[in-house]
Amino acid sequence: MSAVAPPASGELTKDELLEAYRVMRTIREFEERLHTEFATGEIPGFVHLYAGEEAIAAGVCSHLGPDDYVASTHRGHGHSIAKGCDVAAMMAEIYGKREGICHGKGGSMHIADLSKGMLGANGIVGGGPPLVCGVGLTAKVKGSDQVAVSFTGDGGSNQGTFLESLNLAAAWHLPVVFVVENNGYAESTSPNFHQNGVDLIKRADGFGLPGISVDGFDFFAVHEAAGEAIARARSGGGASLIECKGMRYFGHFEGDQQTYRAPGEVDELRRTRDCLAAFSRRVTEAGLVDDADLAAIDAAVAQVIDDAVAQAKAGDDPTPDEVLTDVYLSY
Amino acid sequence: MSADACVGIVANPASGRDIRRLVAGASVFGNADKAGMVFRLLAGLGAAGVERALMLPAGDGLSPTLRRQLDRRIGEAPFPALEELDVRLTSTAADTTRAVELMCARGVDAIAVLGGDGTHRVVAKACGDVPICALSTGTNNVFPEMREATVAGIATGLVATGRGGEHALVREAALVVERDGAPPDLALVDVAVTRDRFVGARALWRHEALRELFVAFADPGAVGLSSVAAQLAPMARGGGRGLHVRLAHDAANAEAVVQVALAPGLVTQVAVAGFAPLEPGERVALAPGAGTLALDGEREIERRGDDRATVHLADGPRRIDVDAVMRDAAAANATQMQPAAG
Repeated sequence: MSAVAPPASGELTKDELLEAYRVMRTIREFEERLHTEFATGEIPGFVHLYAGEEAIAAGVCSHLGPDDYVASTHRGHGHSIAKGCDVAAMMAEIYGKREGICHGKGGSMHIADLSKGMLGANGIVGGGPPLVCGVGLTAKVKGSDQVAVSFTGDGGSNQGTFLESLNLAAAWHLPVVFVVENNGYAESTSPNFHQNGVDLIKRADGFGLPGISVDGFDFFAVHEAAGEAIARARSGGGASLIECKGMRYFGHFEGDQQTYRAPGEVDELRRTRDCLAAFSRRVTEAGLVDDADLAAIDAAVAQVIDDAVAQAKAGDDPTPDEVLTDVYLSY
Repeated sequence: MSADACVGIVANPASGRDIRRLVAGASVFGNADKAGMVFRLLAGLGAAGVERALMLPAGDGLSPTLRRQLDRRIGEAPFPALEELDVRLTSTAADTTRAVELMCARGVDAIAVLGGDGTHRVVAKACGDVPICALSTGTNNVFPEMREATVAGIATGLVATGRGGEHALVREAALVVERDGAPPDLALVDVAVTRDRFVGARALWRHEALRELFVAFADPGAVGLSSVAAQLAPMARGGGRGLHVRLAHDAANAEAVVQVALAPGLVTQVAVAGFAPLEPGERVALAPGAGTLALDGEREIERRGDDRATVHLADGPRRIDVDAVMRDAAAANATQMQPAAG
């Protein structure tokens, strides 16, 4: 990877557009299917679903190679898929099976694959930003051109870890991008009740970092902004913050009654703010992609998810004698 | 002085935070700063006798910060009663459109706008002939002014209460974009035809993407796209004529190369293939080509290669000339304060 300016959003090739669509569709199908399967009681632990926010993971990670790093959140399926983690192994992990990406001992909130630069979903709110400062410092000391991206929510942006990481990344001029997925609810609480005015861009400004805000439902907006931020970090320009405004289609966790949401809010969101529908309309109206291309991806993705669920259900449980393996990782 | 004057307030929480902070050197305008501006605007409106204000509730900390400031206000100075409109926020321009429609339906006497060129454009599309006070919240604006909100509030209040004086209102121009099968759109400063296929992060800063540019006026002291036109042929604001500029692919095929501040911190050379005045009543067809149309510096419309579109000049909104109002008010007050003859 070299330090080159990112292409303008309009210069995406047909293959790149189709890949972006495949990633977003895979995330959507993965999450919709988990929503259904979780209700059967077969899946252990908690799951936090990412549906609705696909454009953010896809738009950011499309600029990252396998040598670049991502640190995720408790809502990490989308980031993991976009960073290239194996979908079947992710599903098996969520089902707690030995074939899982962490051998079934991590579950939804600890999906990680270092071979893909995926540092992990993270049960600690605000846990990702310090990790990317660490790998960012490594990249800087080694003189590589790797970039590290952390994802955090609006609630996580209040954590000391997040604010300390902004400070470290600014002070040490690290090749890091902080992406804040502002989906309007810290679990169930609006920012109006946990912040004296949420202004993430001004917070970045306070640490001397550039911060910008984009529409998190719009793949092209996220893609362009992330392209600039990642190219800046890769070429020695230092850290920056991108606020992506989006909303999730499901609750904080599966089983959340969502009494904090307005009646009809989710139906309205699904009708008017759907990144996949908007993407499909725009690329087909522009004549860059055919409906048939997208339909073929839809069919292929549906098969991938069907197979992943079938394999996960047929997988083996880890045995008690495996409980102490994979606890520590030797670098 | 008319009784029960009412002023609308639109403060855009999304202004001053686009991608130009990343790709250029634009500064951040915080939402607490905007809340402070609204507070000072209200102080000015109250001093001028405005009794009610209607405001679009603004997210990202703006309205909560303003409410806290108002709740903890000390002193007895008159403030208008502030009512937040019942608009469910979508964090898109539709919020502003809906709010301005409601304000006009409620018969506001004026609307104060805090934002950039893009915010003012959205207000201008919906406000009809209701006078607007155009206040900048950023460093990349041409249409609104950077000025103290307290004074702007006094001037707006004088207009709203029928004491603005005969020079209070200026008729601005607008560039109207008409496309097949779409409602007409408008820009207050510039329309740019670009090669970018998608709207993306909206702001336009890559001059390589430009094909054509139309400006309603061109001030050599301004920053942004209109400065390209201004370096070729300055066009006075309110002068009735605009400019149509065609960009060249490279300097070798250019009729002129101009150096302009395309964004804060971004000075670049732009190659020009040709330019001509845009006369009142003249309708110019855009050269065909897939890409986007940027209105007042923001990519707004995705366009196929075979889409047909035209641009022409038209009347825009009525803007409050704060300096003129304050000059006339000063003159009137000076007359009143003179000692009685004899």
